[in-house]
Amino acid sequence: MNILIGTVLIGSGAIWLWWQLPNDAWRSASYRASLDTFLFTAPRVIVALLGAGFFAELLPEDEVRQLLGAEAGIAGILLAIALGPLTPGGAFVSFAIGAAALKAGASPVAAIAYVTSWSLFSTTKIFAYELSFMGRQATLTRILVSLPVPFVIAAMASLTG
Amino acid sequence: MPSLKNIAADLPPVQKTRRVFDGSFMVLLVLTLAGGVAVGVVSGWARVGQILIETFEFIAMLAPKIGAGIFIAATLPILLPRERVGRLIGRESGVRGLVVAAACGAALPGGPMMTFPLAAGLGVAGADLGAMVAFISGWSLLGLNRTLIWEFSFLPSDLVWTRYLLSLPMPVLLGLAARAVMQRRLA
Repeated sequence: MNILIGTVLIGSGAIWLWWQLPNDAWRSASYRASLDTFLFTAPRVIVALLGAGFFAELLPEDEVRQLLGAEAGIAGILLAIALGPLTPGGAFVSFAIGAAALKAGASPVAAIAYVTSWSLFSTTKIFAYELSFMGRQATLTRILVSLPVPFVIAAMASLTG
Repeated sequence: MPSLKNIAADLPPVQKTRRVFDGSFMVLLVLTLAGGVAVGVVSGWARVGQILIETFEFIAMLAPKIGAGIFIAATLPILLPRERVGRLIGRESGVRGLVVAAACGAALPGGPMMTFPLAAGLGVAGADLGAMVAFISGWSLLGLNRTLIWEFSFLPSDLVWTRYLLSLPMPVLLGLAARAVMQRRLA
């Protein structure tokens, strides 16, 4: 169901955008760029999803429940936040790991804390791109002000959930 | 939103092609191969085949969405060049500037190789560090393409909604915090 809703929304966005292309020159430029993006993305998606499937199989359920489950409490949230930055690769890797951990018994709040921490502090993003484009001071300032966010969001999520 | 309509007379911009096999892909490949071998040793090779089939079924189910998402991610930068987004964010100021920056970050698709150069260019367009932080945080926490394509596919929808709604005010708050830090540094 989720997949269907997302497909309809993204599909409508794509059709609207196609409508904005004024003529054949723009359309063929768009197709060329799409093909290039596809060739870049497809191998990554396939390899990442396979990897996530393998690692979900290897995750020891007892340990996951013990370390990241609801009973783990604040320690579980802290561990989830610490694991976020260590996740290599793109968005699908972190979401797939979050889904695998949920299946193995991690608490929803831990999954939210993990995804938030990955979003803000992914070391791949910071070291490969942010430091070189933004410079050290801007990067450190952003990290510094963002540090409380995963904790605040996890606290609010555990209050609402 | 700047108009997209007055471009028929112009030629589309030339896009650079990217290398398919780079370092981060190699890391991913090695980790996945190691994971596959580990599953084969621990649970047997039949299980490896089963995971392969399940994964490709999942990819087939996601394919229309990924296809449309790839088209958006590739086409939007052609139609909406980064200089224009930069000018849009750069000419705003105050909290309104942070809201515009966060919204642009959430709406623009694309990975870090697109977002960070754009964020760095915001400074040239007149934006301050607060707007850059709001833009990067909007993209990190609220990126629509990523949430619609990937997050909703993997995670339960109530969890995604909770995370998204709680994150909603964060980019603007982080922008304000970055401004406060900068002011302190200058004082």
